[in-house]
Amino acid sequence: MIALDGVALIFHRPSGLTHIVAPPAPQILEALGEGDADPAALLDRLKRDYDFDDSEDLEAALEARLTELETSGLVWRA
Amino acid sequence: MAEDSEETGEQGMAKPSRRHVLMMGGAAASTVVTVRPALAQTAGSIMACEIPIPDPGRMGNYIAADGSVVPPGTPGAFPPPGRNLVGEEVRDALQGGGTIRGYGYEESQAYTNYIRRLQSGMSGFTCYASIQMSRG
Repeated sequence: MIALDGVALIFHRPSGLTHIVAPPAPQILEALGEGDADPAALLDRLKRDYDFDDSEDLEAALEARLTELETSGLVWRA
Repeated sequence: MAEDSEETGEQGMAKPSRRHVLMMGGAAASTVVTVRPALAQTAGSIMACEIPIPDPGRMGNYIAADGSVVPPGTPGAFPPPGRNLVGEEVRDALQGGGTIRGYGYEESQAYTNYIRRLQSGMSGFTCYASIQMSRG
């Protein structure tokens, strides 16, 4: 993962795909890098490292972000 | 990655003032864009691209065994194929070392050696480069 201004680039060598990820995707991937986690545990890790806008529905938004990452093949559910 | 948080092992304590605020985004905001390699999308055209031998500026000349372009009638050299070679058959000959359909082994070797010598700007170079890059 290469961090640029505001976004990060991820090159997946076997497929030749390049993923351009914007926050909070890189942060989610980094938190997942600590080990497998369900959405609740993942959110706990993120809350440990970051502040969030209290007005957001964090669970729903995280679920949406995970679905995007899953669609791109960057994360998968066991 | 933006990580200006200062906390280490401060869980359960008051949050440091300079922690990064992460916007999780609304359900509609997309945060991942996947760029597919252009070559994957043009795989069909790679197989259909053509390589003239020799390039149009040297038509009528022969191809020596090492792939160089020599005057017609040069001993040991081969007449040009008389048609453009297609990407798919060139790829097969380059990767498998076999013959190009319709030509003998030595002729095929001369033609593939010619193709290996192609350089940027010569007719067929883009096709050759695409074939090389499409190798798994």
